[in-house]
Amino acid sequence: MVGVALSRWTMSYFATAVLALIAAEGLMLAGVGYPHAAIAAPESLLLVHLVAIGWLSLLMCGALFQFVPVLVNRPLYSNTLPLPTLILLVTGLAALLLGFAQLGGTIQTPFGFFPAAAILLGAGFVLVLWNLGRTLWAARPLPLPARFVVVGLCSLAATVFLGIIFALVLGGVATKPHLLDVTALGLPIHVIAGLGGWLTFTAFGVSYRLLAMFMLAPELEGRTTHGAFYIGTAALTVAIIGGMAAICTSANVIWPIAAAAGLGLLALALYGGDIQHLYRARKRRVIELNSRMAGVALANLAATVVLGIGLLLAGRFNDYVGVIVFLVAFAWLSGFGLAKLYKIVAFLTWLECYGPVLGKTATPRVQDLVAEPRAQKWFALYFVAVWIAAIALLVTMPSLFRLGTGAMLLATVGIGVQLMRTRRLANVAPALRLPKGTRPPHLLHSSVQPS
Amino acid sequence: MATQFIDVDVRPTLRAGGEPFGAIMAAVANLQPGQGLRLLATFEPVPLFHVLGSKGFSHEAKEIGGGDWEVLFSPAAAAAPVDTAPAKPASDTDTWPSPVQEMDNRDLDPPEPMVRILAATEAMANGDVLSALLCREPMFLLPELAKRGHAWRGGFEPDGKTYKILIRIGAAKDAA
Repeated sequence: MVGVALSRWTMSYFATAVLALIAAEGLMLAGVGYPHAAIAAPESLLLVHLVAIGWLSLLMCGALFQFVPVLVNRPLYSNTLPLPTLILLVTGLAALLLGFAQLGGTIQTPFGFFPAAAILLGAGFVLVLWNLGRTLWAARPLPLPARFVVVGLCSLAATVFLGIIFALVLGGVATKPHLLDVTALGLPIHVIAGLGGWLTFTAFGVSYRLLAMFMLAPELEGRTTHGAFYIGTAALTVAIIGGMAAICTSANVIWPIAAAAGLGLLALALYGGDIQHLYRARKRRVIELNSRMAGVALANLAATVVLGIGLLLAGRFNDYVGVIVFLVAFAWLSGFGLAKLYKIVAFLTWLECYGPVLGKTATPRVQDLVAEPRAQKWFALYFVAVWIAAIALLVTMPSLFRLGTGAMLLATVGIGVQLMRTRRLANVAPALRLPKGTRPPHLLHSSVQPS
Repeated sequence: MATQFIDVDVRPTLRAGGEPFGAIMAAVANLQPGQGLRLLATFEPVPLFHVLGSKGFSHEAKEIGGGDWEVLFSPAAAAAPVDTAPAKPASDTDTWPSPVQEMDNRDLDPPEPMVRILAATEAMANGDVLSALLCREPMFLLPELAKRGHAWRGGFEPDGKTYKILIRIGAAKDAA
């Protein structure tokens, strides 16, 4: 039992991720991609990948490099690998975005970017899987939240695998008929594995632990939590493996996806019940901004599920699939990510700066690093803006959508400034800011003191 | 040399919900050179061992039935050489002394338990043991303890929810 050190490069992941979110919102404000273009148009795909890889995946990877060790009580396999990993992921993402720009005719070059994107992103995510996988493997048997992360990582592997096939086919490198079939029909599986398996299921696992920790609620390991895990895993397996099998055997891919949707709803219901229980059973009556805003994001997830069921029953799901993807990405995942980011940056910065002198001198509290009333306004603006943009998509009002995304951009910049102030200790009273024996943390990496 | 013990029975005070510390310290202040203190209490008064230890008293505690304890505090010169190996490095086979301080941090918001534990360790002497109850494994505390040269032992209690950590000040430094 050695405890957990600070993850050296997590802050770089967070900073890059927030910049990618701001860039994506800027593009939406500028009218790039859906709903101004078709949802499968290259510029829409450019936008989707900027959000899914640049923002959400980098955020998740940065968080996991810090919190997988906490979940399993083991040090991270390598605290050095995350930097080359980040460089591979960012250059790979840039190549992918250029590839989509090429596909849409926005830029013209004599060579293709897709193969480079496939190699760079593939290598980057393999390093993520290797580093986290080795950490988890050494910690068997795993506690339940960590098992959610394992399934999330398997889904990431499936997402990347499909993505590489798509990139090689679109880049003209792969021409085998089977791979062409996968590219033509595999998009729903790629989306489900990415947004559902990798991002959402991993967030579930992390949320069980973080919400319990920050609200002083009991850790859940009971029948409902096991149920959410096993049924959710079954749903993802049916969607990903069943879906691939259907494509390879020329069966209709809709059947495994429908079966997975049924199982997925059951898992979501169990998870929803668990989370309500966590909020109700908490010992801490007054909860911090991060837990309140995570609650809004979780309610958004529930509302998105209800909307999805409604659209399905009305037979209009395919017409509005863009709204569902938008809500999952921004109302649920981004909302939850920003809320947790707000706490994690403050906590890690506090630990890095004041940990070595705790008990030896007067130090600020974690909450002294944040200015919640100010941040709360930006979070409120963010969520209202997302709802406005989603309604605009539902009623097909592109100008209202741009207004909504403009407000999202403003709110994200506001939250980003708050995160920067936290990292810079700007909210701490100057007299308390840097007691003897402390030094200000670097913006982009954490000093890992030898123990 | 026989030590003469002065009796202090704080059981009635404790049963009445009172705080006997003042009376004990007053009795200690009135001891003549060479005199010891025989304390009768309703529990093993571990914090007192440390307080009186720092005043040069050694102790011998025994349970006398009904949950009551008798503790003989002897002035150092008269003390029997019971425990003569205090400087031995801490290893897992060592028996650690009873904690001089106990804290229950189970209902505190993170990272308050860590802050309190580190503050307490700074105020303790080398070789002292701190005991703390937590509601989870203190993952971020452990590297900090290691850096400061303290040894620790920890584990979940049989209820599976309470994590108890014992920290021995400076013990990792001695072992190194």
